[in-house]
Amino acid sequence: MGRPSSLRSLAGTVVGCATLQAAAQDAQQWLDRMTSAVEELSYRGTFVHLLGDEVDTLQIVHRNDDGRISERIVSMDGVGREIIRNEDEIYCILPDRQIVLFESRRDVSPLVSALPNYSEDLARSYEIALLHTERVVERDAQVVAIHPRDEFRYGYRLWLDSETAMPLKSQLRDEQGRTVEQMAFTQIDIGEDIPPSALEPTIDAQGFEWIMPPDDEVTAETPQWRATRVPEGFQLSVATLTRMAGSEHPVEHLVYSDGLATVSVFVESPDSEPEVTGGLSRIGSTNAFSFEFSGRQITAVGEVPPVTVESIATSFASP
Amino acid sequence: MSEQIQDQISAFTDDELSAEECAFLVRRLERDPKTRDRVLRYSIIGAALRGELPNPDPDVLRRRVRAELDGIRALEQVRESPAARSRYFRPAVGLGIAASVAVAALALLNTVNSPLDASDPVSRVAGASSGFGLQDPPSYIVPSEAAGSLSVGDTLSPPPIRLTNYLITHGQYAPGIRRTSIHTHVISNEGTTVLVTPPPVQER
Repeated sequence: MGRPSSLRSLAGTVVGCATLQAAAQDAQQWLDRMTSAVEELSYRGTFVHLLGDEVDTLQIVHRNDDGRISERIVSMDGVGREIIRNEDEIYCILPDRQIVLFESRRDVSPLVSALPNYSEDLARSYEIALLHTERVVERDAQVVAIHPRDEFRYGYRLWLDSETAMPLKSQLRDEQGRTVEQMAFTQIDIGEDIPPSALEPTIDAQGFEWIMPPDDEVTAETPQWRATRVPEGFQLSVATLTRMAGSEHPVEHLVYSDGLATVSVFVESPDSEPEVTGGLSRIGSTNAFSFEFSGRQITAVGEVPPVTVESIATSFASP
Repeated sequence: MSEQIQDQISAFTDDELSAEECAFLVRRLERDPKTRDRVLRYSIIGAALRGELPNPDPDVLRRRVRAELDGIRALEQVRESPAARSRYFRPAVGLGIAASVAVAALALLNTVNSPLDASDPVSRVAGASSGFGLQDPPSYIVPSEAAGSLSVGDTLSPPPIRLTNYLITHGQYAPGIRRTSIHTHVISNEGTTVLVTPPPVQER
């Protein structure tokens, strides 16, 4: 009489697995919707950024004008730095240094030019789950938890607007679940008409030094350098030669991604002398590891744990 | 600081303010550096209690919490007239709560925020045991002393322009919400670079 019991057990296991799979798919759909919402919606709001013992208040204006995306983020604290991007260019105004840093978006990408969106691979690197709903800035929000399966990537806790999937609050968390960084809107308007004037800089940059990339085009040459070892789940998704503001020589730029986390590796020409400090450094929750190899400065940058940027960067020096 | 602002800050740190109230508070914070500093201190204490401070320096945090406590005690010791005491009664209750929170935070810090414990990836970077199939150790050694005049913990403010370049370029390839975060690092006040480990030196 054991067989019916075994069958029931098997059926229960199958139903359980199917339920888990459906829940994971639901969570994945929320993430896909979020990715679209962040880019495709028009919105403006004020958000607080908390990292360590630093709290910053910033304003963001994001405009989608028939597919033409433009965005402006302004720090409301300190000297009021701004970063503005559109389809063709991105510039960062640093009034404290009297500098405008200008980067054009005309990279030559002979290998690939889009980030992968591979949900099945994502599940190998992260556990993704839908949690409860909560109210955030007077809106209903679905909480999504993304937990890393190893120490080479951070996890996330996201509060996504129930209606639009716009992230109203997000936390970057380490493998132990400790919050590394938090961003939360204190006010947001989604879907409103945003005039072009809202994207204009408020700082008069006359007299500032403009640091720009050289005008000459980069040839469609394939970058030669590759990481020899990357943490499981990371794949090369972009390999390009890029022009950087203030540099005469093209820089090899390689992007490794696991679908959520990205690490950029910059390999400088032996003729350039970039002022990058060697070793591990961090800006906010972004870590960078830089060292010199064969006369070239190699730097890995990413919102990943320090061990990841260090491992990927140093693998360039290994056979 | 008015009682209303005091209550609003408290509600703000507890995520209980409406959008309109948040907007009002943000406008107030823009004009009032004193109030902004108070919000910052409350946020730090709150974040410490929630264990949200990533690898904080316990000594720095303890000093700040103590400074907050000292400020509270000094206020409590001020002798007021009966009318004035009545006027300040409610804020004093608020400050008393803040003091309790600060004491709790101080106690918690001793147990939670031990600096750079062995399980922290940051503290293990210099050792470079990557753990994902590295057959050979990295082809460099970490020197006992930092190269040049820089040493671990040094703050490079402002960060080198080229590093800012890297961040901006990298941000273009990050998923939307992470790009916002990376750009935030570039322009916010914490956009300073902290040297965590000294530069590696290649083996000869």
